[in-house]
Parts: sequence; C-alpha cells; structure tokens
Amino acid sequence: MNRSRILVVDDDPGIRDVIAEQLTAKGYEIRSADDGSQGFDRFRTEKPDLVLTDLAMPDVDGFELIHRVRAFSRVPIIVLSVRGGDSDKVRALDLGADDYIVKPFSIVELLARVRAQLRRSGGIDAREPLAFPDLIIDVNRRRVTQGHRDIHLTPTELAILECLARNAGRPVTFDDLIDAVWKGAAGTTNDAVRFHVGSLRRKLEPQPSTPRYIITEPWVGYRFIAEPVG
Amino acid sequence: MAVVLRYLGALALLAVVTAAAVRIHLNATTAGFVYLIAILGIAVRSGLTVSLLSSIAATAGYNYYFLPPFRTFTIQDPANWVALTAFFVASLVVSRLVVNARGQAESAHARQHELEALYGLSIDLFAATSRVGALAEATTRVLTKVGAVSGGLVLFGASTYAQQVVTWSGEAEDEIKDLIAGVGRHQESLEFPGRNGRDVFLPLNVGGHVGGVLVVRGSAATVRALESVAALVALAVERERFMADSAHLQALRESDALKTSILRAVSHDLTTPLTTIALQVENLRQNLSANAATAGSITVLSEQSDRLRRRIENLLTMARLESGQFVPRPEPTPPADLFQAAREHLAALAERRPIEVQIDDDCPDVLVDPVLAVEILVNLIENADRVSPPGRPLLLIAHRHPVDDSRVRIEILDEGPGIRQTTEPADRFLSEAEESGDAGRRGLGLQIARGLAAANRGEVSLSNRLSGGAAARLDLPSAAIVRLAEASA
Repeated sequence: MNRSRILVVDDDPGIRDVIAEQLTAKGYEIRSADDGSQGFDRFRTEKPDLVLTDLAMPDVDGFELIHRVRAFSRVPIIVLSVRGGDSDKVRALDLGADDYIVKPFSIVELLARVRAQLRRSGGIDAREPLAFPDLIIDVNRRRVTQGHRDIHLTPTELAILECLARNAGRPVTFDDLIDAVWKGAAGTTNDAVRFHVGSLRRKLEPQPSTPRYIITEPWVGYRFIAEPVG
Repeated sequence: MAVVLRYLGALALLAVVTAAAVRIHLNATTAGFVYLIAILGIAVRSGLTVSLLSSIAATAGYNYYFLPPFRTFTIQDPANWVALTAFFVASLVVSRLVVNARGQAESAHARQHELEALYGLSIDLFAATSRVGALAEATTRVLTKVGAVSGGLVLFGASTYAQQVVTWSGEAEDEIKDLIAGVGRHQESLEFPGRNGRDVFLPLNVGGHVGGVLVVRGSAATVRALESVAALVALAVERERFMADSAHLQALRESDALKTSILRAVSHDLTTPLTTIALQVENLRQNLSANAATAGSITVLSEQSDRLRRRIENLLTMARLESGQFVPRPEPTPPADLFQAAREHLAALAERRPIEVQIDDDCPDVLVDPVLAVEILVNLIENADRVSPPGRPLLLIAHRHPVDDSRVRIEILDEGPGIRQTTEPADRFLSEAEESGDAGRRGLGLQIARGLAAANRGEVSLSNRLSGGAAARLDLPSAAIVRLAEASA
C-alpha cells in the first residue's frame, strides 16, 4: 500500500502529537516540525504528499511557509486556523492554501479534510462525469441527475456546480467562482454569486432545509460537501 | 489739605504772572495769552474746580490790571467787554478740555493697569491649576489679589442647590446659599452692601451654562474687573474638569488595554488545552471503543468538554463584543446552512434526539454574522434539549416574519413543560430563573443567545406553544439581496 506522507507543522506539541498519533493510526506516515522554517526544511527533504500547518508560529509563520512552498510545489496545504481569524483564512487561501480547519476541530473532521485533499491531488479526469452519492454531473452532455430526477440548470448554474464539484471538499472563494464562471467579468458581485448559488441549491438539493451538496463557508464562499464516488 | 494747597498754588501762579506782566508793561492782548497759558498749566496739574476758579480770578485780574481804566473793575470801552468775555470763555473751554483729556488718559491708564493685573492673574491661575485639585488654592490667591476680605468658590452639581464649596473663607451665612443659587439661576452678577464694604456674586460660565459662583466680599475692584476675574476662574474650572476627564479617560484606556491582554491570554490559555483535551478524548474513544461502558463515559466527556469549550468561546466573544474588539460581520446566509452548522456543532445531541427542520420556500437569507448566528442557535437548541422529554423531537423552523418584511423568524420548538409566563423585563431573567427553578431553559445559555442576537440586530423571545412545549423565537434581519443580484445578473 502506498502510504501518503503528511507533514504536520504546529508550535504546540500537545496538538502536534495528537494529530500525529491519530493520522498514524489511520495509516499515514507523519513528519512533524514545530515552526515554519523547520517545516520548510522538512518539506524539502521529506517531500510530503500533504502539509498541515498552524498559522500563528514564532519566526516563520504559516503564511510564510505557504508562500515558500507554493513557490515550487502544488502539494495540498491545509491550514489550522483559530476561530474568529476569518481574514487569516482568506489570506491563507489567497496565498495558495487548499483548505482550512478551525481549532478546536474533531479528528473525524480533520481526517475528512485530509482524505478530500489527497484525493483531489490524485487528479480527477476532466472528461469523466462527476459522480457523487445520488448525483451525477455530466458536464459534456450538460446533464445533471439527482436521485432519479433530471435537473435543468442554466449555463451559469451548471458552471458553478461544475466548479464546486471539481473542488469537492475544498472551500471555493467568491473570487474563484467569479473567475471560473464569469471569467472575472468586471462588476460581478458576491451578491450575484449568492443569487445564482441560491437558485442552484433550490433545484439541486432534494431537501433544501438539510443541504447535502453545497453549503456556505462564512465570509469565504462555498464548499461542496458530498464525497465523490468511484 | 492737598486740595487747599492746589488752590493756593493756582492763586500764587496767577499772582506771579500778573506781577510779571504789570512789571514789563504788557499790552492787553499779550497779557490775555499769558493768562491763558497759566490757566492751561493749572488745568493740567489740578482738577476742574481749581481751573474754573482760576479762570474767574484771572478774568478779574485781567480786567483790573490790563483793561482801561486800569486798577479798577470797571470797563470804559465797550469793545473791551468783548475782549474780557472772550478771555473768560476761552479760559473756561481750555480748563474743560484739558481736564477731560486728563480724565481720559487717567482711565486709559487705569484700564491698562487692570488688564495687566488680569493678565498676571490668568498666568497665576493657570500655573496654579495645572494639576487636578489645585482649584481651591488658586481661587484663594485670586481673592487675595483682588483685595477681597473673604469669599470663595462654589460649584453646582445636578442643580443650583447641589452646591459644592471648593473653597470658602470668612463667615458663611445661610442666606449665602440662596444668593448663590439665585445667581446661578439668573446668570447675572449680584452686588449689594455687606459687612466689609460690598459683596459681589459672580456667575461662572462653564461649558455653556452657569456651573458655579465666585463670591468676592469686601473688594474695592470694579464689577467689570471682577467679572473678568470670574471669567478666568470659570476657565480654570473648565480646565480642571477637562483634566479630570482626560485622567479618567486615560484610566479607562489603560483598563481597556489590560482587558485586551487578559482576554488574549485567557483565550489562548484556555483554547489550546481544550483543543488538546478534545483531540485526546477522540483518541481515547478510538482506542477504547470495544468497551461499551467506557465508550459511554467518553461520549459524556467529549460532549461536556465541547460544551465547556463553546461556553468559554461564547463568553470571550461577548467580552470582545463589549469592548469593541470584535465587530460582527454580517453576511447573507441561508437559514438551512445555519441549521446544518448548528447540528454539526451538536453532533452528540443530534444522535440522541431527532432534530427536524422546516424552511419556508420563500424564506429569505438572513443578514447575520454566520458564526455568531450558529452560536445563538446552538445555545437555544441546547436549552430546548435540556427541558424536552427524552426521544421527543426538536423542530427548527425558518420563515418570513409575520409582520415585519425586513426580518426572518427562526423558531426552536420543543415539547417540554413550557415556560412560566412573566412580564418581567428581559434582563432580570437570571434571578427569576433561579427562583422558579426554570434554570434549565433560562440561565447563561439564554443570556449568551440574547447578547449575540443583539449584536446581530436580532432578538430572542420565549413563548409557550398552544400544543404544549415552548418556542424560542429568534428574529433576525433578512438579506434582501435578490433584487440586487437580479440587477447585476
């Protein structure tokens, strides 16, 4: 079995050790570092498949680490952020982080995020229909099936759905969506995005009151929460 | 004595002038001019009465020695009447003009003195009141400078009768209080004869209204001068108040900074160990899941540590909101997402008890800080859970506000015993809950929910359902973005 190697960077040994123990138990290979600069050294020598990093650290912080790693690598990065640090989250995403998880978090949540990122970096074939539980998105044939319903989406809605689904498990910022769907057209506001996502959700969700596919990420954008099948 | 000397001097001068003029046989015209110069001299040196009397004496002497027939008071030539009258009028006018001019010069001089004195006083006053509490001694010095026998400074509190005596010397009769109040109300200086000369009561204009009265007893200074002094004292009072305020502000700022650093420390020192505890509990759960009894206690442990963590976070958030370090950032949020997030936060609760969700199709998004809104729901759901019979579902509902179109109503319905109806104001619910034993529903959770709702321009209310149980209502602003979005789409 090809074991994924994960680099954990956090200055708090308590958190670092628990995470390491849990991830090891799940069959991951763990490397850890207690600050950004050691983290970067380890990143170069150990070549991990995923980086899990705290943001607030002495000397070289998480932002700097993301910046340095992104200079030459597309390896997924998940940020451990503190509650209330919303501008930090957006800044980390802008610097190239792939996801964030808010402390205190549960191991289950952490494992789900790690799985989603490792899967994504494995690559999804763009020509294949995207398949999720009770949901098939066939972009080429412009056909979306949820349960046994055929869902009719406008081109904008389909483009949004495709963008979110291809990034399943990962937060997609308003700017990402505007870039991908509207090709960055000037004057496209977050409210326009909200409007179309709202109507997409009404068509897509079998029970809009308990979303299965799309949820909002406060102040950031949206996240496609269903896990791909197959 | 000085007055008599002045008269004698004037007469002596006229005698010398007359003798000299007679001796060198001056003619009538020249003699007239010489006399006028003498009168001028007298007017400059002495007062109006002296120079007027000298004018009469000079007219007499002019007639006696220089207008024919000489050495008589009679006048032969009618033309000389004209000369004599002209001389008399001229000497009167000269006297008058000179004395007036001198009077003006003197009053200008006095004013200059007064100004110099006031300037000195102001410097003195401001040097003395450069620290809080120095007003009393400064006022005492002011009173001494204006030559007051006694007096003092009285400031007003809430009313003109709430008088605070900053400093007082000499007798303090009862009627003084009323006089001071009267001056305060009528805002005009009051002056009347007193035991030591006269008493002057001067209103102090502090910050646009009469804030106190300066009482000067037995001073010879003019009321105008005293009013200027009072204006200076008023400035000093204002300055002292300002300094006291700024000292207070400084103290507040320092206490704020202290609060901030305590908050930061508390937040870090509590959150980090709690995160570790939560992760370790999870660890334990996975290692010990085989043993049912242990698994049960671990679930309790995890749920309780999670509750503790959330409570601490909530309290820190409230403290940050209160100190202005945290400003809610409202964002259009679908109620479905709020419900979903609240259920995720309450995973253990949701396993025990069904939570049903019902959202009207036309229910708009709410404009709230999503993180705070989820916390409000979590607190209200926890409260509802605590009073509900085991296994009975909770119902979460979101719909348009029945009356107010700009609001969305979210309701958490339980099947518990309902609440004790009360007309008490909302902020008294804590003590009330203690006495009614209804603490499960009320208490800290509700207080947090209310506080966070208020920060989101929303409100929480409790009522009983007709079908039994209670409804916690959360009214939040709606995010009417549809029109906006359609315009831009």
